[in-house]
Amino acid sequence: MTTVDHDQPHDTEKNTQRRFVMPEGIFAWLLVAPALIFICIIVAWPLVETFRLSFTDARIAGENYVGFENYADLAGDRKFHATIWRTFYWMFLSVGLKLVLGLIGATLLNAAVPGKALFRVLVMPPWVIPIAIGCIGWLWLYNGYFGLLSGMAQRLGITDGPIEFLAYKTSAFYSAIVTDVWVGTPMVTLFLLAAMQGVSRDLYEAAWVDGASRWYRFRRITIPQIMPVIVSMALLSAIWTFNSFEIIWILTEGGPRGATTTLIVDTYKTAIGNYKFGEGAARAVVIVILLALFSLIYMFFLNKVNKHYGSK
Amino acid sequence: MKHLKTLTVGAALLVGTALSAQAEDLHFIMCGGEVRAADQAVVDQFIADNPGVTVNLEAVPWGTCQDKSLTLAAAGDPPSISYMGSRTLQQLAANDLIVPAQIDDASKSTYQEGVLNTVTIKGTQWGYPHAFSTKGLYINCDLVEEAGRTCTAPKTWDDMYDLAKAINDNTDAAGVGLAGKDFDNTMHQFLNYLYSNGGVVIDSATGENKLDSQQTRETLAFYGKLVDVAQEGPTAWERDQLRDLFNDNKIGMYISGPWGRGQHNESINQLVAPVPAGPSGESGTILITDSLVVFKGTGHEDLAHKLAQALSSGDAQYDLDSSWGLTPILDYASIGIEAPYYEGDAFWEVFTGGISTGGPEPIVEDFKSLQSVFTNMVQGIILKEDTVDNLVTIAGEELDEAL
Repeated sequence: MTTVDHDQPHDTEKNTQRRFVMPEGIFAWLLVAPALIFICIIVAWPLVETFRLSFTDARIAGENYVGFENYADLAGDRKFHATIWRTFYWMFLSVGLKLVLGLIGATLLNAAVPGKALFRVLVMPPWVIPIAIGCIGWLWLYNGYFGLLSGMAQRLGITDGPIEFLAYKTSAFYSAIVTDVWVGTPMVTLFLLAAMQGVSRDLYEAAWVDGASRWYRFRRITIPQIMPVIVSMALLSAIWTFNSFEIIWILTEGGPRGATTTLIVDTYKTAIGNYKFGEGAARAVVIVILLALFSLIYMFFLNKVNKHYGSK
Repeated sequence: MKHLKTLTVGAALLVGTALSAQAEDLHFIMCGGEVRAADQAVVDQFIADNPGVTVNLEAVPWGTCQDKSLTLAAAGDPPSISYMGSRTLQQLAANDLIVPAQIDDASKSTYQEGVLNTVTIKGTQWGYPHAFSTKGLYINCDLVEEAGRTCTAPKTWDDMYDLAKAINDNTDAAGVGLAGKDFDNTMHQFLNYLYSNGGVVIDSATGENKLDSQQTRETLAFYGKLVDVAQEGPTAWERDQLRDLFNDNKIGMYISGPWGRGQHNESINQLVAPVPAGPSGESGTILITDSLVVFKGTGHEDLAHKLAQALSSGDAQYDLDSSWGLTPILDYASIGIEAPYYEGDAFWEVFTGGISTGGPEPIVEDFKSLQSVFTNMVQGIILKEDTVDNLVTIAGEELDEAL
């Protein structure tokens, strides 16, 4: 048996008339509001506070407004200029090596060899091990008297005495780069490997039928197909490397004589080490500006690359 | 019966309220990463003597400890008491984060000469000195004899260099261990030599910067000369790591505190001597103390003072010094301790003898900048990046900025 409510259509009509119709714009804002609030608390507020602090001489005891004094000091500080160049050199060299090694590693891991799953797992430890633990291992490797590298060099007759890798400006800098590359390469490798596995087999088979060599297929199929991933990884890796702190701090604390001091280490030493929060904040703002500029330029080229290779 | 019940419950509530009002939790940060048995015993007794009081002892390694105490205090959540380097006192005091120590005149008179200077700023003591060290030169006599020399203490820098060169040239070991890492004891090591050459960093009476001097130039030049007979790459080494090289027969000598004796291999035939004298001075050493500091704003500063006084009192302090192997911070004979551990011992004479001739660790507000000044100067000469004259001139200017 079915009960028919003759009033229902009438009520529904009334309800429709009464229903509050929210303007689309407000509804959209309500939907994004949680994310906006989250970003304001996590990102915007610290950023604004850092920006504000950079115009003060904030220390433990308190703070006074000093205008652009901190920035003027940085502009005239030759050591700071050298630190900026050193940071970019550190970043470009390290990211370049990570990309080259990552590409080689991904290509090898993508090859149809027996036990490749095992090799893929074996690539991961530098990425999986906590950075501090890995760096302590490298500290031991670099030690001149008790370290493996120096010991091997002496045993093989390459040197007739211990080599202290972290004691000299140049060797300390490049040693830190090696460790940074060791930590960062596995991630690049795995991302590029994932991209390579997404390349259609049909393309390779068609090229193979046409007689294309391995090198030709790699150059004309693999690289163009994974180019968007390469450039994205390069940008992410550049930002991470620019802000890489633990590796340098554990290995050298920025020494000797500032040879491994990058912007992030300099900022930490100033703000946290010497409790000069205002001056440290000014350095942090400079980092933000430099990275933003770098990212803008990079995005410009990324768009060009994407257009060229047909990616959206 | 009903009234009795009410009274009992009421009494229980009152007692409970009174106890909770008394309950205090003292947060005690102990720099150095460990709590020594002698200190723990005093803390345990303190808790037993003060019902309702608990002490939350937190041992933190030196590398991060002082920053942690300072940051907590600056953030408005200070520890009740902290054991930390006396070099931090001026910064803490200038920022109104700590309260002056309450050391009575009778107690003051029991400290060894110069100890209270390490915690005194403009006539006020800001910490209870709790650990004291002077330094001496440890020599590996096995290596000296292997080098064809007799193991005797070098009196002058020339003697020391001569001995180090002999070891360097005639054995597989380096002549001397030098500290040059980005670390506080690079400054301390340098000051041992500077104070053995009549040098001064800051005039204690006027507060004037005295670093840029002939004595500093001579000391830095000698440090640079020692690099040629030192272990590979001194800028990668700090003092405590040199101990490992000494134990492994890799260096012939190095400067360390009295605790070194207990840390060296028993198989090493070692000689301990005062730091050799430079051309412009007499043998000297840096006088370093670590102190118990009472922080401001905890609401139980009185209890914290009481604990600090208990820890630094005669018997408790003696237990710590003797068990740890520290230079005696108090004149224990003057407080009635018979045959203290350092008396009549040639080893201890090296360390107690330096007390009257030693120089203090400079007390400045920005102690990290002070440390950087010395590290830059010392690393500059080790890496041969500049001349002695330039490095000392620059260090003098940088110290002016740091003061």
